[in-house]
Amino acid sequence: MAPKILLVDDEERFRTTLAKMLKAQGLEVTALGSGREALAELEKQPYDVMVLDMRMPEMDGIAALTEIKKIAPQTEVIILTGHASMDAAVEAMRLGGYDYLLKPCPVEDLLAKIESAYERKMTREGK
Amino acid sequence: MTPRSTTSGSNLFPYIPAILLFFAAAPLGLSCGPLWGVGVFALAVVSLVTARRQQGRLQEQAGPDWLLDERLLQAQKMGAIGQLSAGVAHEINNPLAIIRQEAQWMQTLLQTDHFRGLEEAKELYDSLREIIHQVDRGKEITHNLLDFARKRQPVLQAVAVNKLVADMAALVDKEARQKGIKIMQHLAPDLPPVYADAPQLRQVILNLLNNAVYAVQRNGEVTVTTRLAGENALEVIISDTGPGIPPEDLPRIFEPFFTTKPPGQGTGLGLAICHGIIEKLGGRITAANRAGQGAEFTIRLPLNPRGSVVSGQ
Repeated sequence: MAPKILLVDDEERFRTTLAKMLKAQGLEVTALGSGREALAELEKQPYDVMVLDMRMPEMDGIAALTEIKKIAPQTEVIILTGHASMDAAVEAMRLGGYDYLLKPCPVEDLLAKIESAYERKMTREGK
Repeated sequence: MTPRSTTSGSNLFPYIPAILLFFAAAPLGLSCGPLWGVGVFALAVVSLVTARRQQGRLQEQAGPDWLLDERLLQAQKMGAIGQLSAGVAHEINNPLAIIRQEAQWMQTLLQTDHFRGLEEAKELYDSLREIIHQVDRGKEITHNLLDFARKRQPVLQAVAVNKLVADMAALVDKEARQKGIKIMQHLAPDLPPVYADAPQLRQVILNLLNNAVYAVQRNGEVTVTTRLAGENALEVIISDTGPGIPPEDLPRIFEPFFTTKPPGQGTGLGLAICHGIIEKLGGRITAANRAGQGAEFTIRLPLNPRGSVVSGQ
C-alpha cells in the first residue's frame, strides 16, 4: 500500500505541483491550504507522513504542529521552511517534528525524507 | 546609550578669532599703515594654527567616544541589514521554490512517452536544467546574505564535547605558553554527545579560553573542565587565575557593548554573542568569581533537547 501523505502549504501553486510530483512517485497525496483544514482532515482519517509549511497565515506551522501531535501523534511531520524561519524549524523539532527542509529544495530531498519518516513510522508500529 | 556629539562636524567656534583678525588685517593696513596690516595678518595666522592644534588634541582625546559611536552606528546598521535580509530572503525563497518546482515538473513531463523522440525535447530539458541551476544560484545569494548579517541559525548535530574542548585548548595553548600560562584540562571520561551546532560551540569555547588567557596576562593557569550535570545536561567550566570580575560588572558582563578591556581591544560583543549562541542551543551560560582567585564561566548544555532527532541540513 502506498504511503499516505498530507501536504499543507498556503501557496496554492506550490502545493498543487508538489502534489503532482509526489503522486508521480506513487505516493497517495492530499494537498490542503491551511493548518485548520489539515486538522479537520486528520480527524477524519489517519496519514503516515505530513509535509507542513512553517509560515502560513491564520495558523502557523508551530501552532498546527502542537495540535497535530495531540490528535494524530502517529503521523510523522516534516517541516518546510524558508531560511529565515530556521528558529521555528528548531522549535518544531522540539515539539516532535521528524525533520525539516529548507525551501527551495529538490523534490528528491523531500522524497528521501518522506521515505525515512515512513520507515520510522512502520518500524515503530512493528510493521 | 545615546550617541554623543563629536568634534568632527563643522564646528567653527575655535576659529572665530582667526577669522576676525584676517578680516581686520586689510582695513587696518590701509588706515594705520602696512606694518599694522602685516602684524595683524601674522597674528591671524598664529591664531589659526593654535586653534587647529587644539582641535586636533580634542579629537585625539575624543577617540574612544568616536569609536563607541561608530561601533554603535555600525551595529545598528548591521541589525537593520539583518532584519531586512531575513525578510527579503524569505519573500524571495517562496517564489524561487515555485519556479524550481515548476521547472522540475516540466522535466518530469518531458521524460514521458508522449515527448519521447521529439527533437526539441532534449533542448527543452536542458533549458529547464539551466533554470533550476540559476534558481539554486539565487538561493545561495539569499543564504549568504543571511550569513553575512550573522543570522545563521544553529544546525544541530551530535557533538563530542571533550574533543571539541581539547581542540580549542590546543589552539590557545601555544600563545598561552609564551606568556607562562598553563592550560589544564579536566575532562570527564565517557561523556554522552550533546546536540549542538559544532562551529558555534567552538566559537564560544574559543572566546572564553581567549578571555581567560587575556585575564591572567602572565604566569598562571586556565582550567577547562567538563562534567555531567544531572541526567540531562553537561557542563563546560572555564576558570582562570586572573584578577576576577569586579562584582559591580558581573550583572552586565553578557550585555552587548559592555567591555572592561581598553578601547580598541575589545568590541564588547564577544560574550554577548556567546550568550546568544548558548541560549539558542537551549543551554545557559553564567559567570562568577572563584572563591580563591579568578573568574569562572559555566556553560550548561542539554544532552538531547526533549529527545528529538535532529539532522543537519
